[in-house]
Amino acid sequence: MKNKIKQRNNVNILGNGNQPMVFAHGFGCDQHMWRYITPAFEEDYQIILFDHVGSGKSDQSAYDFEKYDSLHGYADDLIEICDELQLKQVIFVGHSVSSIIGALASIKRPDLFEKLVLIGPSPCYINKDGYFGGFTRQDIDELVETLENNYLGWSSYITPVIIGNPEMPEYSEELRNSFCSMNPEIARHFAKVTFLGDNREDLSKVLTSSLIIQCHPDVIAPVKVGEFVHQQIPNSTYELLDASGHCPHLTAPDKVISHMQTFLNRAD
Amino acid sequence: MNFQPFIEDAEDLYQNAPFGYMTMREDGLIVNINATLLKWLDYPRDEIVRQKSFQDFLGMGEKIYFETHLMPLLQMQGEVSEINLSLKTKGLARLPTLINARRILNQSDLQPVYRFSVLDITQRKQYELELKKAREKADQTVLRLKQINQDLEQFAYTASHDLQAPLNTISGLIGLLEKKVKLSSGNNERQYFSLIKSNTQRMKLMIKDLLEYSKIDENELEFESVSLNEVCEFALEMIRDQVNKENATFIIPELPTIYGHKIQLVRLFQNLFSNAIKYRSNEDPIIKVTYEDKGDKIKVLVKDNGMGFEMKYADQIFGFMKRLHSHDSISGTGIGLSACKRILEIHGGTIGAQSVPGKGSTFFFTLPKFPDRENFKG
Repeated sequence: MKNKIKQRNNVNILGNGNQPMVFAHGFGCDQHMWRYITPAFEEDYQIILFDHVGSGKSDQSAYDFEKYDSLHGYADDLIEICDELQLKQVIFVGHSVSSIIGALASIKRPDLFEKLVLIGPSPCYINKDGYFGGFTRQDIDELVETLENNYLGWSSYITPVIIGNPEMPEYSEELRNSFCSMNPEIARHFAKVTFLGDNREDLSKVLTSSLIIQCHPDVIAPVKVGEFVHQQIPNSTYELLDASGHCPHLTAPDKVISHMQTFLNRAD
Repeated sequence: MNFQPFIEDAEDLYQNAPFGYMTMREDGLIVNINATLLKWLDYPRDEIVRQKSFQDFLGMGEKIYFETHLMPLLQMQGEVSEINLSLKTKGLARLPTLINARRILNQSDLQPVYRFSVLDITQRKQYELELKKAREKADQTVLRLKQINQDLEQFAYTASHDLQAPLNTISGLIGLLEKKVKLSSGNNERQYFSLIKSNTQRMKLMIKDLLEYSKIDENELEFESVSLNEVCEFALEMIRDQVNKENATFIIPELPTIYGHKIQLVRLFQNLFSNAIKYRSNEDPIIKVTYEDKGDKIKVLVKDNGMGFEMKYADQIFGFMKRLHSHDSISGTGIGLSACKRILEIHGGTIGAQSVPGKGSTFFFTLPKFPDRENFKG
């Protein structure tokens, strides 16, 4: 069972410390995106990296469209990983959609988590009821179209679905080797679940001490959204980073590390 | 002859290459762009360089793609290729492009820059959309045809099945009448009666064959390893009366195992064996089975010493309800060989025949040795 979950989520463990630090990647990527952050914590923490089912080198066959029809399916996976590895006092670091996945897991099992680090969180991407998420439904449809145009190169429409086709292993291999690769069906579904979900109501239930790292400008999770998350999570710290884009752990890793260290060393 | 080496003007090549080029900073700000791309986007240089970001040319959905895929890829791998994005021109038209990009570590600057090459794929995109439309249409047509085919098969089965019962009753009553009513030879009534009887028999045969044909449905077939010797034995058992009556001899060597559907294969051999006897010559029928190994296929030959046929009819004989002989001379429906053809199609094989009138015929067909459902034609 242990191996099954480790395989399912391609769990990798490194580091010399005792306290576990679990990293969860965002939409469109895999655990490799943490490579500039983890070296700073390897000495003092046990680093746990994994891929969400459907992403990276996870077990694609474990992708259950019903289970992963909401972020709760991913939160349950996170809890399962923690339980299987018998982790306690977990420091959870989540990027983008994984911030919310971590938040949901901490609501279900507050006993597991000591602190949450949320990089570019957004509980709801769509503008509605006076709330500004940054996007309209039409924008998300356009994203799905762009994904379809790009997951297998520009000609993906013409070739049949080739991922998982045992008769063309060279294609599957090539796609597996490519960072950010996903089965187009799964990518489409994950995009919809990520960008059309609404977890605003859940934020106030998060009781774990949380750090929100916000970039500026960030078109995916604008400052307004980061501020909203900060307002909603009772025990949260908000840091506005002097960095643009949605992936500060790639573009400004030193700044991210520095804020994390301050937050982790602070006695709550 | 001395050729002077041709020296390219690098600046001219950059500006006027039939390719768009641009360079952006990590935050997307465009720091250089070539004349070709400016022309495509319909902007003057000073409105773009250090004024606009690459993201400004993208729709909202594409911006998400840029942030969640393109930039992480560039930062992790240092390059991306064949990314399909539509760039917004000044007049807000969309220019479909294919983008390759690479990270350049500029030594004088601590920040990396990214060079983009941009290919205009307007025509190709149009072609792609047309292909996509055609494929969707073809998929729908296939689906519709499959449904129609299924309905037709169901109809043929139901119709022939339901026709059997009343025909059996008629046939039984004719038998009873024949016994009870005495008809003197030579009069018209006797002749009519005989015609009714033979036509009823013919109709029974047709319904039986139609029913058999409609049962060949590839959707319900399960393929397995099948011994051809076993198949031949079963087939001979089915036509034992005919074999005995016509004093036919079968020469069957040791045959290989192939991959297929046993019951359908028995039907195939039964039809061919039965035909070889039915279309006999004056000599006692001798039917010889041989095979040739063709790599991943087996070619089976069934040779007889029967009456044969003209080669101009070689294709026609496999047509549905096509016959070379009238029902009165040799009874039949013209369904048997077309059923054979259909069985072979389902197995991904072909069937053909060679014949010389008066010298006998050879029917040959191929069957797969190993499972490969992809190659089977429905």
